[in-house]
Amino acid sequence: MSRASRRQYHQRLKGALDNTFLGQTLARFQGNYRGSRQAGFAGMDFEALAAEVGAAKDAALGQLEALYQQFKAQAEAAGATVHLAHDAAHAREIIADIAAQTGSRRIIKSKSMTSEEIHLNRHLEAQGLKVTETDLGEWIIQLRGEGPSHMVAPAIHLSRSQVAELFTQVTGEKQDPEDIASLVEVARQRLRQTMLEADMGISGANFALASTGSIATVTNEGNARLVTTLPKVHVALVGLEKLVPDLHTALKILQLLPRSATGQLISTYVTWVTGAVECAANGGKKELHIVFLDNGRLALSQDPVFSQALRCLRCGSCANVCPIFGKVGGHNYGHVYIGAIGLILTYFYHGREAAQELVGNCLNCQACKVNCPADIDLPALIKKTAGLVMAEQGRPLKNQLLRRVLTNRPLFHFLLRRAYLAQKPLAGGGRLIRHLPLFFAPDQEFRSLPVVAAEPLRDRWQRLAPKVSKPRLKVALFGGCLVDFVYPEQAEAFLGLIQGKDIQVDYARDQSCCGLPAAMASEEETAREVARQNLAALDAKQHDYVLTLCASCASHLKKYPALLADDPVWSQRARHLAAKVIDLASFLQKEVGLKPSAEQDKAVAYHAPCHLCRGLGVHEAPKELLREAGYDYRPYDDEEVCCGFGGSYSLDFPELSAAILERKLRQVAATGADTLVTDCPGCVLQLEGGLDHLGSPIKVRHLAQALAEAKDK
Amino acid sequence: MNQKELRQEFGRKAEAVSAVVTPVADLAQAFAQAARLTAQQGGQCLAAPGWEADELAALQAACELEGLELITQGLRARTGEFHTGLTRAQWGVAETGTIVMESSSEELRLASMLSEVHVAVLPAAKLRADLFALEDELNRTLAGAPGYLAFISGPSRTGDIELVLTLGAHGPRQLHIMLLEEGS
Ligand code: SF4
Ligand code: SF4
Repeated sequence: MSRASRRQYHQRLKGALDNTFLGQTLARFQGNYRGSRQAGFAGMDFEALAAEVGAAKDAALGQLEALYQQFKAQAEAAGATVHLAHDAAHAREIIADIAAQTGSRRIIKSKSMTSEEIHLNRHLEAQGLKVTETDLGEWIIQLRGEGPSHMVAPAIHLSRSQVAELFTQVTGEKQDPEDIASLVEVARQRLRQTMLEADMGISGANFALASTGSIATVTNEGNARLVTTLPKVHVALVGLEKLVPDLHTALKILQLLPRSATGQLISTYVTWVTGAVECAANGGKKELHIVFLDNGRLALSQDPVFSQALRCLRCGSCANVCPIFGKVGGHNYGHVYIGAIGLILTYFYHGREAAQELVGNCLNCQACKVNCPADIDLPALIKKTAGLVMAEQGRPLKNQLLRRVLTNRPLFHFLLRRAYLAQKPLAGGGRLIRHLPLFFAPDQEFRSLPVVAAEPLRDRWQRLAPKVSKPRLKVALFGGCLVDFVYPEQAEAFLGLIQGKDIQVDYARDQSCCGLPAAMASEEETAREVARQNLAALDAKQHDYVLTLCASCASHLKKYPALLADDPVWSQRARHLAAKVIDLASFLQKEVGLKPSAEQDKAVAYHAPCHLCRGLGVHEAPKELLREAGYDYRPYDDEEVCCGFGGSYSLDFPELSAAILERKLRQVAATGADTLVTDCPGCVLQLEGGLDHLGSPIKVRHLAQALAEAKDK
Repeated sequence: MNQKELRQEFGRKAEAVSAVVTPVADLAQAFAQAARLTAQQGGQCLAAPGWEADELAALQAACELEGLELITQGLRARTGEFHTGLTRAQWGVAETGTIVMESSSEELRLASMLSEVHVAVLPAAKLRADLFALEDELNRTLAGAPGYLAFISGPSRTGDIELVLTLGAHGPRQLHIMLLEEGS
């Protein structure tokens, strides 16, 4: 990756972070979305429906060519002409030819991401054609000469004042920014005339039904209906992946699409066009051309890993819930396609150069994944895409180092111990390092960093191990790097909680890093190697549980079976291990049953680690335990939003990590809590470092510590 | 869901998307309502394509009463002149407050797209719980190509400026559904 392009990208990110209006708009947008979506799905089993849609899409993707042939036969029997464009240039040519042959000079368009993908407007305008976008948001950005910043709401990066200013220029009349209805009216009036005069309408499609040769558009404004009705020629540009076998599949998708996009139960207009319908402007019958775009889709649909990306319904949800999108907006978080899916598709549709910086910009927070109505494992695909980019460009030095160090546990642990000695003078005797020397990593001043412990957990273990003669339960403790080498006190707190409960706890000395950092760096082979080492060290068969105080380790250990699925030696052990992995809160609730404590005089807020709430699906247990321990628990809106850590993410994108952390800490401070509790040492590192940097009196505690402190009272 | 529950649910959901549902006893009442609200809003012309001759006679009378011009075809040339588009809807969907309108005829489309107010007459007997309950009918309609089929839920809207919901983007500003009790 060239340094210049990286520097440029970081400059753009900085520019976006400095744009306060953008920040406010996006924050409001994401906040509203969360509420609307929740209401839209009330009483529905989202997970099950998304899985169904994912499976239905997969089935369709497996037979795209057959569906295309069936569609073509049906649609042409109904009077349409169906084309297949191999790539973007081919599609542009086909459409320009249709315009030429039909003598169309004035073109109106309804929103189509596919036409953005092939940069259609530019090409048609170069032929001297007049192209007008009729979707309000699209029209606004067309007038401004910009691309969309969101797949559903393309002008969401703009304020009402900016739109009023623009419309003042367009109409020559002063427009009032506070009167949004009259701004919408400007578009209605202006565009109505343009639409009535147009020769050709270009639309996209949300579905193409092979069974009947129908195409469907799902819209709110009603412009797509006019675009497909008024002009004599209608061209629909459709990605091949929009083909579905039948109406039933389309209705299944329709159940989720508007709810995921805006929280609406259904969009205002869903219209189905089959064949050459009546059109007085063309002497009775419409001229309908349906142009399917391949542009790599057929090949992608055959890929065992990446075909998933073609399930995408373009609902925009993966941007709406992404903390990074929420800070920098779509112009900096996508190319044409935006949000998590954009990071992936950009590589396939627009190439490595367009994708190379974007694809590293992901916290792996899982928010997109759990909200995706097509059940796409977006964070995993993003990492795999980054792996492809890396394969093209060659491994960066830091990846080579990571591989060397992580696969050699003694070396890795030696380096951690040495880090303690190196850091000691910087810490000045404290637990945190406030002023990092520059050589650590640039732009890390937004948080202090913890000092590596003088004595790691593994060295203390002999002393600490509970002495149980007749164990009721046997637990293997998986420390993870941070608990072992930075926060052994969290493990000590845990041991205090289960004292006298007849629970045997073992700590295998040969355990190493869980391997998540390798997976995050797209070093799959390294991740596999480390997983094998841990499987050799921990024998799950001997234990009832494999417990870890680190949510990230826990959710990564759960991924071992997928990681080693093809490994004849280790796959079975991986499954055994994964089945026994448990987080602290669930373990305490299930197996320990702490006694409720008297009321504490402390108010606590809770930060839900991504890998606990979304990775393991544990939402309530930690908070229940805190309440039972007598704490005055204070909720806030973003409790389940990522803290911005993301492991090495915070080193690669410090400006964003800081901005995401800041938002969280502001909300926590507003609760009036004096302690912030979480159950992942990575989050502790980020939150504690940020609070210390701000000079905040709020203390951070691992759940184990907070519960132990309440018990000791 | 029984008929009463269907009607209640449909009413709630249609109103949630800013449609206005008015129960009417017969077509004459629906026509009278459509003509009255057109006149009340200052409209002078009502477009009503696709009605039978005898129905049109009743509608003509209702329009005359309110001093409205009634047009039934050639809507393209009269764009901007007709205030109200009066059409039938074939089905209603309770789950989402949606009306389903077969609109292969271009005049029907223009009446429901280019009007300021769309009034749709929907027989209450044609209410269904959800779209899946209509799958067979919809499939038959789609197979009868060429065709244009619309699911309409409330009046046209946009959230494109700061996500502020604004009605009347490119289609009708209001959607009135006349829920017809009699069989037809
Ligand atoms: S990837 Fe999923 S969440 Fe993102 S736009 Fe596509 S369907 Fe929606
Ligand atoms: S994993 Fe999180 S940071 Fe990455 S794209 Fe998804 S929502 Fe955004």
